[in-house]
Amino acid sequence: MTVTTERHTGLLVGERTMSTEELRALLTQKYAFIDRKWDLVFWVTATFVVGAACFITYILFAGDWDFWTDWKDRLWWPTVFPASAIIIASALQYIQWRAWRFPTGATYTAVCAWLVVYIGRALWWTGMHDYPFNFIWPQTLVLGGILMDMVLLLTRSYILTSLIGALVWELAVWGTNYIMLWPFLQPTEWMGHIMTLADVQGNAFIRTATPEYLRIVEVASLRTFVGETQYVSILFGATLCFLAYWVGQFIGRYLAVWPIGKFIKTP
Amino acid sequence: MSTAPVARTGLRTGVRAYGPTDWLGGWRALFIGSALMTLPFVGLTIWSFMWWTAGFDKTHPDFTTYWYRLFQAEIVAVFAIAAVWWGWLIRSGRALAKQAVVTTAEKVRRVAVFWAYIALSSMILYWMAGYWPNWDGAWHQTLVRDTALTPPHITMFYFTFPMGIVTSVATYIYGATRLPELYSLRKGVHWAFFLLIIASVLETMQVAFNEFGHAWLVVEEIFAVPYHWPFVTYGWLAGGIFALWGETVLYLFRVAKEHAQLQGGEVAAQERYAA
Repeated sequence: MTVTTERHTGLLVGERTMSTEELRALLTQKYAFIDRKWDLVFWVTATFVVGAACFITYILFAGDWDFWTDWKDRLWWPTVFPASAIIIASALQYIQWRAWRFPTGATYTAVCAWLVVYIGRALWWTGMHDYPFNFIWPQTLVLGGILMDMVLLLTRSYILTSLIGALVWELAVWGTNYIMLWPFLQPTEWMGHIMTLADVQGNAFIRTATPEYLRIVEVASLRTFVGETQYVSILFGATLCFLAYWVGQFIGRYLAVWPIGKFIKTP
Repeated sequence: MSTAPVARTGLRTGVRAYGPTDWLGGWRALFIGSALMTLPFVGLTIWSFMWWTAGFDKTHPDFTTYWYRLFQAEIVAVFAIAAVWWGWLIRSGRALAKQAVVTTAEKVRRVAVFWAYIALSSMILYWMAGYWPNWDGAWHQTLVRDTALTPPHITMFYFTFPMGIVTSVATYIYGATRLPELYSLRKGVHWAFFLLIIASVLETMQVAFNEFGHAWLVVEEIFAVPYHWPFVTYGWLAGGIFALWGETVLYLFRVAKEHAQLQGGEVAAQERYAA
């Protein structure tokens, strides 16, 4: 094999690029004790921490806009929810791309988070507290994850993924969930007032510790931008997604990967 | 990773019926540990569904019967579990440290068991940050917040959070005593363990700030209030768990390489003898 016939994979090993043949030899090499069970155990058991991390991040930064249909407004929901959900997706994207060159981190995170939130909503919110599922349905991040992973695969660049992928994530997360929200935005008359079906749900199902005066929807004067509120919010949300993507990169780089082989010296 | 049928032949220790990477061999700890970890939370869930209506009012006698007693039992249980689990790990670890030679198969088995411990740490983080917060949200947004001892808090803050500390410390003790090439205390405290343990410690301590914030700033339950945010940022520290997975994978490759060299040496010796 000559250097000129080598096909390069782009996988850096030290200061040189590994050839396809070298990579193939590495992948087909037989190792004692190393089999697919390790992969399976990792992918299954990491589900818990990844799903929980993504869930707790967006639930405590933007959970109120996630729980209820009547909180999903034009102004705050597309601004804060996608940005808080991208953080762990970005961290996992870094970890999986760095470890295996798998462009799967965001999708994996989205699926794990969906499992966590679905179990919670079904068991506690509906099972115990009797809220109808169409009032508290879990949002999906899966399409956003797939598209953001595609951006990483095509660009092979975290910087470009943060710029393009974050915008794609924002649009996909908002778009897919907006389809589910759409039926609840239909206008209706209730006790002499015109409101959405989502508003009716919020009034019909009492939340004693979250009274109406706490509902943060359409707050601020952006709603005076007639017909443009949502688009301004989405663009601002994409900007926040870009920033939050790098928060996730920090977690992936310095909390998940950097500690390998590092010790705090004790006297 | 590639499959390796060569691994199993002739490499069992002889005293164990299954190989280090057989489901019933090294991975058995994963199944037993997962079942043991799940059991108390299934029990607490059933308890919660049965007696949640007794938890509305802390001044009611039923609250004392069903929830305050549970709170007390949890505190006792956490200390008892920590004492037994950590004590067994340290005691058996000291005995293992006296072994002069550790076979390759045993090294691999210990990594598999270590992964079971990491899995338990992952699971407890789910119970801490995924499972109970759902009930906490459902409860506080719709019912009441009269004290720090509401039913979702009793299951989450006073059992699950401390169990996070117990589990992550147990994982550290296992690593330090069974995988000294990686995590020997002589090298210092590994950063990944420090991050994993401190995440659970800070989460538990954050409970106080949370209650303080609710008493002082916003009594009602807006989930996005700033005094909830430390729960998130402290939780991020648990990202150190990935360093444990990554580090042990690299170690496995090293062990496999050493094993291959040993095997190669044996083959070469046999060839010389045959010649």
